[in-house]
Amino acid sequence: MIKNSLTTIGILLFAAGVCLVIDGFAEADTHVPLIFVLAVVMVSRFTDGYAYGILASMIAVVGVNYVFTYPYFEINFSLMGYPLTFVVMLGVACMVSALTTQIKNQEQIKLEVEKEKMRGNLLRAVSHDIRTPLTSIMGSASVLIENSGDISEEKKQELARDIQSEAQWLIQIVENLLSITRIDNGDGETKINKQEELLEEIVGSAVLKFKKRFPEMKVLVEMPEELVIVPMDGILIEQVLVNLLENAAIHGKYTTEILIKVLEEEVQVRVSVEDNGAGIKEPVLPRIFEGRLHSEDGAESDSKRNMGIGLSVCKTIIKAHKGNMKAENKAEGGAKFTFWLPK
Amino acid sequence: MEIRDRVLVVEDDKRINSFYKTVLEANNYDVLLAQTGTEAYSMITSQCPDVVILDLGLPDMDGMKILKSVREWSSMPVIVVSARTHEKDKVAALDLGADDYITKPFGTSELLARIRTAIRHTRSSLVNQNGAPAGVFVSGGLTIDYDKHRVFVDGKDAGLTQNEYKIVSLLGKYAGKVMTYDYIIKEIWGPNMKNDNRILRVNMANIRRKIEKNPAEPEYIFTEVGVGYRIVEPD
Repeated sequence: MIKNSLTTIGILLFAAGVCLVIDGFAEADTHVPLIFVLAVVMVSRFTDGYAYGILASMIAVVGVNYVFTYPYFEINFSLMGYPLTFVVMLGVACMVSALTTQIKNQEQIKLEVEKEKMRGNLLRAVSHDIRTPLTSIMGSASVLIENSGDISEEKKQELARDIQSEAQWLIQIVENLLSITRIDNGDGETKINKQEELLEEIVGSAVLKFKKRFPEMKVLVEMPEELVIVPMDGILIEQVLVNLLENAAIHGKYTTEILIKVLEEEVQVRVSVEDNGAGIKEPVLPRIFEGRLHSEDGAESDSKRNMGIGLSVCKTIIKAHKGNMKAENKAEGGAKFTFWLPK
Repeated sequence: MEIRDRVLVVEDDKRINSFYKTVLEANNYDVLLAQTGTEAYSMITSQCPDVVILDLGLPDMDGMKILKSVREWSSMPVIVVSARTHEKDKVAALDLGADDYITKPFGTSELLARIRTAIRHTRSSLVNQNGAPAGVFVSGGLTIDYDKHRVFVDGKDAGLTQNEYKIVSLLGKYAGKVMTYDYIIKEIWGPNMKNDNRILRVNMANIRRKIEKNPAEPEYIFTEVGVGYRIVEPD
C-alpha cells in the first residue's frame, strides 16, 4: 500500500521534473502529454492492481492541464482536444494495468506449479530413500526375533550393525528434511538467517561430524591462511558439507581420500569437495541435483541408497544463499562438487 | 560394596526408558526413572541423584521449568536431552544452567561420555580460593598452565595474548562442555560488551592458528555451530 503510493508519487514527480527541465529550452509543449503517458505506463507496471494506474492517469490529466498548458496554473478543460487526451491516458492506464496484473498472476501461478512440482519430487525421493533402509531394519529385526536360535552370534552382530547403520542413514535423511524446513517456513518464502561465520569453523565442525561416522576416511582441508568470514546460515552450510562428504564416502565406492578446498575469490568464496572414488556416471551428471536419479534412468543408479535428496537439499540451500553449485568428474578420476557463496 | 553413581532419567517414552535402564545398568550406574515433570521434581529433591538426564519434552510441563527450579537450589549436573534441533533451544538450556545437552537420536557411547563428563565436573575441584582454576590441564600435546597463565603446545609456549589465554583457560575449566558464545563474551569482556560474536570469532581464529596444526581440522578446540565452543577433555 505505502510502497505503491510512494512509487506512484515518485514516478509522477519525476515526470513533472523532466517536463520542467525540458520546458526550459523547448518552445512547444507537445512533449508534456507524451512524458506523462509514459509515466502512467510505468506506474501501472510497477504497482499492484488497477487503482494506482488509473489514479495516476487522472492526476496526470489534471496536473498537465493545470501546470503545463496555457493558461498556466489554471484548470481549463475547454481546451481543444483535451477530453481526448484524458480518454487516451485513462485507456492506456487501464490496458497496461490489466496486462501487467495478468502477467503477474501468471508468474505467480507458474511459481506455485514449480513449487508443487519440487515438493512432489522431494516427497517421491524421500519415500524411496526411506523405504530401503526401513525394509532392511524390518528384515534384520525379524530375523533376530524369529530365527535367533538358528543363527550364529557373529551373524546376529552383523544384523544388529545393519540396523544401526540403516538407522543412521534415516537420521541423515531427517536432518536433510529439517534443513529444508529451516529455509521454507511454510509461507513459501525462502528466507534464511544469515550471520557472519568463520568458514574454517563450519568446515571443521562438518569434518568432525563426518569422521564420527567414517573414522577410516582421510579428509584433507586446504584453506587460505587469512580469516574467511562469510555471511551464511552456518547450520545449513554445515549440512551441505556433511552431505557432500558422506556422498563422496558412500557413492565414491572405493573412495579413500577426500579433499576440501576453500578459495577466496573477489566477490564470492569457492568451496570444493573432491574425492578419489568412482566418480559420477556421465548420463546422471546433468540431472544430479534434481533429486530423482533412480526410476527413470532405467538402470538403478549406483545403489539403492541414492543421494537424491541429499544433493537436491544441497542445491536448495546454496540457492537460498544466492550462491551456485556444480558437479563434475575429475580428469584423474573421482567426483568434484563445488559451491560458491557470495561474500 | 562399591558405591555406584545414581542417574535419574526423566523421559516419558517407555521404550527409550528401557533403553536407558539397560545401557546404564550395564555400565554400573544405578538408574532412577521418572516419567513426568512432577515425578521428576519429587525424585530430584528426595533422592539427590548424581546426575539428571532431562528430556525437555515432557507431557505435564516444559523440561526447562524443571531445570530452572533445580538451579535455584542445586548445582547437580543436568544433561538436557532434546529432539528439538534448533540451536536456540540448546543455547537457552545451557544459559539456564544445563551442564550439557544431547540431541535425539544419539548413540550409547555419546550418552555415556556426556554422563562421565558431567559427573567429573562436579567431582574435580581444580579451583583455588578465588574460583580461578589452578594446576595444569593436559590433553595430548596441549597444556594449560593455570598458575603461570601460559598455554603450551608440544612443550612450546603458544604465545597467547591476555584475552586469548583467558578464553582458553575458561574453556579448560569446563573441559568437555560446550560454552555458549554469550557466556564466553560476558566472562571475558564483561557484561557491557555488546552481543557481538565477531570479536570472539576473531580471537578464536587466532588461538586456533597458534595451537592447532590445521585450523580447519582442530584437535583441541571444537566449534558447535550456532551454539559455542568446547575444548577436549583432559587426559
